[in-house]
Amino acid sequence: MRAVEIVVLISIILGFALLLTLGYQYLVPADDIRALAKFYLLTTYFNPNYTYTAGATESVTAIVWDYRGLDTLFETTVFYIALAGCLILARGLYKEEKEASKPGSGLSVIVRSVTKITAPMIIAVGVSIALHGHLTPGGGFQGGATMAVLPLLIIVIFSLTPLIKRGFTPSRLAIIRGLALTGIGLVSIILAVIGLVLGINAYVFQSLPKPDAPLGFPSEVEGALMGGILWFFNLFESIAVVAAFTIAFIAILLIESKR
Amino acid sequence: MWRMIAETIIYLIMACTSIASTIAVYLTIKEKDLVKAVIYSALQSALYTIIYFLLLTPDVVLVYLPVAVGLIPGVFLILISKTERWEKE
Repeated sequence: MRAVEIVVLISIILGFALLLTLGYQYLVPADDIRALAKFYLLTTYFNPNYTYTAGATESVTAIVWDYRGLDTLFETTVFYIALAGCLILARGLYKEEKEASKPGSGLSVIVRSVTKITAPMIIAVGVSIALHGHLTPGGGFQGGATMAVLPLLIIVIFSLTPLIKRGFTPSRLAIIRGLALTGIGLVSIILAVIGLVLGINAYVFQSLPKPDAPLGFPSEVEGALMGGILWFFNLFESIAVVAAFTIAFIAILLIESKR
Repeated sequence: MWRMIAETIIYLIMACTSIASTIAVYLTIKEKDLVKAVIYSALQSALYTIIYFLLLTPDVVLVYLPVAVGLIPGVFLILISKTERWEKE
């Protein structure tokens, strides 16, 4: 029965593959860039004469955090609310102090050593993805998700105890996440507040200086591109995402060990 | 001419990858051992990242790879260890 199923499946797939091969002859991508893509490419970095530029070579990050920054801010907030709900559901089901006094256990020495070697590499890759988010593909969420693999590895391979013992408790991580979100909020409104105080025109979520609003974050520091507000957003977002995923893992596992 | 051949090769790689990912999805659905099903699902996600990369969306690759291959199988394995490993009829 199983063999018959697989034969049927593969024949369907081959049919689709044939369609794809034939469809290729009629579906050739155009050589020229579309007008919308051209607009975004010109306004991100590639035309220095353009007045309204995002100052970043990465169009996607510029669109996500600069063109429609409020949208992304609300996405981050929704994630935060979901996590708060998770913590509220898990409330009272575990004791952090009790967990820290347990003896640590884990997998074999080989696996532990390999994890110890790869741990700094994961962090380095995650940080570079996050902080180069305005230059190369990547950004805050991507870097944060990459770095969040490390706590998961530590939980699986070294057990939960060393993580809790070193102070990575859900309540503290929630504080870190709250601080990172506060950072995002402050960065987004600080120019508007300064503008109000000084009596200069400035906008919420303003990144670079505009003709009618002279305040702005630096476009480059010491010759290195900063992308204005994008660098700060990527930094805070990556911290928030790492903390959020770690809280979720630890909360799930703590509930289990209590039961 | 050469551009045409190169594009055809890229399309062929994408077709093969999508076929392999479909098989992985099939195996994921049919598998009764949930741990193996999680591994098949991670395999399917890894194949999808290749397609995303060939479709010139490195941003999606960078968010899809850690989440779909690293974090979600991890969460699933933790949840399986809390419940049951074998799927019942």
